[in-house]
Amino acid sequence: MSSPPSGDVLAVLLLLLLACVEFGDAAAAVGVYRLIQYDLAGAPLGSRAASLNHHAAALPLPAGADLSRSALIAPLLDLPLAFIREYLAEKKHLGGLLILLPEKFNVKDATANNDGKGQVRGALAELEKLLLHEEVPYPVYFAFQDDNFDNLLADIRKIASSGQPASATTGGYKLVVSSPEPRKVSSPTISNIQGWLPGLKGEGDTEQLQTIAIVANYDTFGAAPALSVGSDSNGSGAVALLEIARLFSRLYSNPKTRGKYNLLFGLTSGGPYNYNGTNKWLRSFDQRVRESIDYAICLNSIGSWNNELWMHVSKPPENPYIKQIFEDFSDVSKQMGVSVGIKHKKINISNPRVAWEHEQFSRFRVTALTLSELSSPPEFLESTGGLYDTRESADAESVTRTVRLVSESLARHIYGLKGRDIDVFAENSSLAINPHYIQSWLDLLSRTPRVAPFLQKNDPFIAALKKELSEHTADVHVQSDVLDGMFTFYDATKANLNVYQVASVTFDLLFLLVLGSYLIVLFSFLVITTRGLDDLINIFRRPPSRKVKGA
Amino acid sequence: MTVFHFLNCAALTFGPHVVYYSATPLSEYDTIGTCVKAAVVYLGTALVKLVCLATFLKVPENDNFDPYQELMKIFIGFIDVAGLYFALTQLTHRNISQNHKFQAVGLGWAFADSVLHRLAPLWIGARGLEFTWEYIFQGLEANANLVMTLSLAALGSLMWLRKNKPRTLVPIIYACALLLATMPSITSYLRRSLEWQTPRVVGFEFFSSLVMAFISWQLFSACQRTV
Repeated sequence: MSSPPSGDVLAVLLLLLLACVEFGDAAAAVGVYRLIQYDLAGAPLGSRAASLNHHAAALPLPAGADLSRSALIAPLLDLPLAFIREYLAEKKHLGGLLILLPEKFNVKDATANNDGKGQVRGALAELEKLLLHEEVPYPVYFAFQDDNFDNLLADIRKIASSGQPASATTGGYKLVVSSPEPRKVSSPTISNIQGWLPGLKGEGDTEQLQTIAIVANYDTFGAAPALSVGSDSNGSGAVALLEIARLFSRLYSNPKTRGKYNLLFGLTSGGPYNYNGTNKWLRSFDQRVRESIDYAICLNSIGSWNNELWMHVSKPPENPYIKQIFEDFSDVSKQMGVSVGIKHKKINISNPRVAWEHEQFSRFRVTALTLSELSSPPEFLESTGGLYDTRESADAESVTRTVRLVSESLARHIYGLKGRDIDVFAENSSLAINPHYIQSWLDLLSRTPRVAPFLQKNDPFIAALKKELSEHTADVHVQSDVLDGMFTFYDATKANLNVYQVASVTFDLLFLLVLGSYLIVLFSFLVITTRGLDDLINIFRRPPSRKVKGA
Repeated sequence: MTVFHFLNCAALTFGPHVVYYSATPLSEYDTIGTCVKAAVVYLGTALVKLVCLATFLKVPENDNFDPYQELMKIFIGFIDVAGLYFALTQLTHRNISQNHKFQAVGLGWAFADSVLHRLAPLWIGARGLEFTWEYIFQGLEANANLVMTLSLAALGSLMWLRKNKPRTLVPIIYACALLLATMPSITSYLRRSLEWQTPRVVGFEFFSSLVMAFISWQLFSACQRTV
């Protein structure tokens, strides 16, 4: 009667005990960021695996090392790209790759040589370019280098130099990332945020007011989506847009200073994917609204320029509209002591590649231009906020300069101040450009990875942008759409890496041997002291005596 | 291979108890009942100790050696001795000689102690991928603990079960018993105040347990000779 309940209790206890099993502790647990995994028009690209469970190996590799069952840890600057290229080209299998990025640059460390920074930036750019366009069948993770990793690498090299490669029988370190199988992001959304500053319609005006649009894309794309903060591309553009919106909202709040133009502010998404989001956003407009757009200024990468800014257009520079806009910019830039150059790139309608945001406007026959510090159009998936594009690559002064350039030129155009030497947004006035505002937004954007497929419609960051824009503009609306089918993204962008120090099998066997002999010695000692030596010998002699008895 | 490690450490921790039982005449006289009863008494004692610790001890703010707290812990440690007294004298055992009674009680006591304090950490920790020496040291400690418990049980049986003891030896017996009873406090003092590392502490425990075992053996045989 009592046995079934006790059996149940035992089963429950056993289950409880088993449940405690999974909490194995590790020597170290570190947050790591996975290389992006995506399909482009069906072709698989990026790192195709997420979970990792291999022994750690480090460069320089011991001779004859079999890397297909090891995970290679390498600091960025020690990793020869030729090595990875060779591995990828020959389709050799690697257990896994962990790339250690140098610790975030200490901003106060002004004495850090620019050479070093340039070297890191160059290495990162090259690595990113290589890894983004290849199919890598093993997991690739990025982590930040710190003392723990330095010690780990030193230990691994010491073990390797003793002549044996790391494997199950020689001990060493094991890298374990237990991540679920990466799944497709089901419908990646791009959310465009827009806000209006309506202009002043005079009593006699019957026609619709013209609109000037200011647009910037806020999303990024990079090798490690959890690290793609894109401060310069295009955090700088988004921040500049917010400041311009703030300045003009002050002007437009008073009917006496409200201009005769509507101002449309657009924070678009989907920039790296041929400005797909901008296209969808424009398509969502009523045709009359679109036709009322006089011109659009797109801001892209304006965070690290000193003297020269470029204005990219798709209409020829001789076009009267373009000429007028360029003159506005040139006047202000001369006053500021910087120069603005003009670059013309014709659009090829049959080519799906859209290098600049203004090209999407031009396809809808709206005059547009892009202001950028880049002098030539970026390649596909380049300059979209990669690994090296962190807070240090954008500075608030450049953004401030751009804001001054754009807002002064706009003001001259809207209020007809051409030729007059007036500074609308003068320093120490109530309309002064606020560098703290720019700094704090730039800091925030540099802490927020913004790869569009991983930003849901209701992501708090998008809500924050919407709220900020609604502080300055009216009629704020978020338009969400699905990213075009050419791209498919996979999740599992962040994981926890556990580093375990493991003992080799030989150690366990040796220990078993020692233990066995200890127990045997103990047994014999106890038998001899308590029962006498004869007893010990008798234990081993029993079988023969029985045999004798039987016969 | 980590289950392997777990089995190894488990063998190190619990093997000697089994070996002791099977090697000595305990197995011949079938004293397993006594062992089980002693284990149950140990469980009860452990419970009482826990309650006392919870009631009387404060949670230490810093890691320093607080003499009053340690004195409290020593007093609570004497509950252990009381438990052993109970197991040796009050329980009804089958007809087994003095010699074997203390051994069986000591063995059951030490086995229960090992299981209670060392099985759970072993199960949870030794099966993980990470390798530490911790569980091997724990096993060695269990061995030392077995020897010390046997010595304490021997001295206990001398103190409470044997009526005629040579006068000169009596204070030595009580002194040794006191020393053995306070051994846990001594090791914790070494660990915390003098900051000895685990290998050193385990070595000390081993050495001291062997010394105490030798002394108790001499005392026991001296008392036996006089009878």
